[in-house]
Amino acid sequence: MSQYLARRIASFVAMIAVAVIATFIANRFVPGDPVLVMLGDQSSNLDLAARLRADYGLDLPLHEQFVRYVTGLLRGDLGLSFRFPGVPVGEVIADGLRISPVIGLAALVLSLTLGTLLGAIAAVRAGSLVDTGLMFVVVIGLSVPGFVVATGLVWLLSVRLGWLPVAGWGTPQQAILPIIVAAIGPIAYFARLTRTFLLETLGQDYVRTARAKGVPERGVVLHHALRNATVPLLTVAGIMMGGLITGTIVVENIFNIQGLGRIAVTSIAARDYPVTMGIVLLFTLFYGTINLLVDIAYVLVDPRIRLAVS
Amino acid sequence: MVVFIVLVAVFAHWLAPHSYTRTDLFMSWSLPDARYLLGGDAVGRDILSRLLVGAQVSLTIAFSVLTIVLIVGTVLGTIAGWHGGWADGLITRATDLTLAFPELIIAIIVAAIMGPGVPAVIVALSLVGWTGIARIVRSLTLSLRNEAFVEAAMAAGTRPAAIIVFHLLPNMVPALVVRATAGIGFIIMEEATLSFLGLGVQEPQPTWGGMIRDGLPALRTEPWMAMAASAALAFTIVGFNLFGDGLRDALDPRGARR
Repeated sequence: MSQYLARRIASFVAMIAVAVIATFIANRFVPGDPVLVMLGDQSSNLDLAARLRADYGLDLPLHEQFVRYVTGLLRGDLGLSFRFPGVPVGEVIADGLRISPVIGLAALVLSLTLGTLLGAIAAVRAGSLVDTGLMFVVVIGLSVPGFVVATGLVWLLSVRLGWLPVAGWGTPQQAILPIIVAAIGPIAYFARLTRTFLLETLGQDYVRTARAKGVPERGVVLHHALRNATVPLLTVAGIMMGGLITGTIVVENIFNIQGLGRIAVTSIAARDYPVTMGIVLLFTLFYGTINLLVDIAYVLVDPRIRLAVS
Repeated sequence: MVVFIVLVAVFAHWLAPHSYTRTDLFMSWSLPDARYLLGGDAVGRDILSRLLVGAQVSLTIAFSVLTIVLIVGTVLGTIAGWHGGWADGLITRATDLTLAFPELIIAIIVAAIMGPGVPAVIVALSLVGWTGIARIVRSLTLSLRNEAFVEAAMAAGTRPAAIIVFHLLPNMVPALVVRATAGIGFIIMEEATLSFLGLGVQEPQPTWGGMIRDGLPALRTEPWMAMAASAALAFTIVGFNLFGDGLRDALDPRGARR
């Protein structure tokens, strides 16, 4: 058990280390001199150039820059923005930090509940028209990118019917479409897996026993089958977070929402690499932590796995 | 579906009724008519022509990525499976580490380092894609190397390299073909996502993802471009996925997992 934990934590640390090195490289080895870009038409002002270079630590040897970068990160300091000279990255992304988690978490809750529900309905009615219809929708949801579905939904609900706003952020109405679009892929993924796992547990002996002793069908599905199906579902919850991160980034770009994903992409176009890399680090840290927690929870929940790894 | 898409992509320049780069401001956001069958985009380029050439761009990227991924994945997978020991440990560790990152995050880092464009897309998607192939090849190598025909070849004194090339690889082809076709739809989807975000294919080269992005602001009045590109993209991805499923059932009856 402790050996498993140690190995799991070691791979988490390795992942973060790779992310830190990759983002450092991306920040430092970009084409062009960021200081010249920042100076703009004041490029002849050598004093200002020297001061900016010192502020950004660009006058230091490379290994010292790296040490400065890492110690900064440990203090929660993501560096300074290129696009807004002298402004800390943390300030640039502050607004995004208030938006993206809302979209991500709402989409997570929506996909967990709706995904489980749809998957359970399909499994209980396996082979029926309802099952076939649901699985057809699921395959479409899995194979068509979110922004294609979004294009159709925006056209239908916002342009044709005028029910929902086309873009923006701030009102509850503006949040509905982005959250749904971000959740479509994860809902489909989760529904398909719930169906598979539930069909497996529904065929087990203990389910037959429960039915034989007269437990109502609803109780059999909810308490006997679904409960045991949650263990494998828990492992994919971590993988699903990757889809939700992607979904959030895409959705913010569709609906022009100034969240982390939108800022990350516009900052690449504006060559503001410290901002993009700061966001990349945040996403990586978040994704790694979730997966670490899921793996630990997985061992704690299922006694068979606990025995197997110890 | 797949044959249709591939034919369109190969003959795109010949099929396209107009140049995909020629602008005509009189045709800006023009309605579909006899000249521009699907209308014009913001700078008056023929949407139909751009859609057709977009198929070529998408498929070219998809097949480039597939080739790179197959070569790198097969080489590393066989080394890991055959050699074992530290090489196996290193390669398995590298796969796990790559898979620990969300794909889009890897793509953003690559796009930042290389600058957005076709090369960045190919590198980003290859970086993610080789892991799947390497895993399959590794497990296939592990199971195949214990087969009687491999032992016979070893006993006959065949060099390991020759065993791998002439005995192992031919036996992997069906599984790899199935895996590769299933991967095409996924690669096209990822490329479209990157281009949609502006991290992928750049103007003036047409790409479905980019056309959807450019079409979104005009959805209210001129939905043609976003709709046409969305339909083409959905048709292609679903087509390749169905093709992959069919191929899996035909070539690999045991592989009906999930």
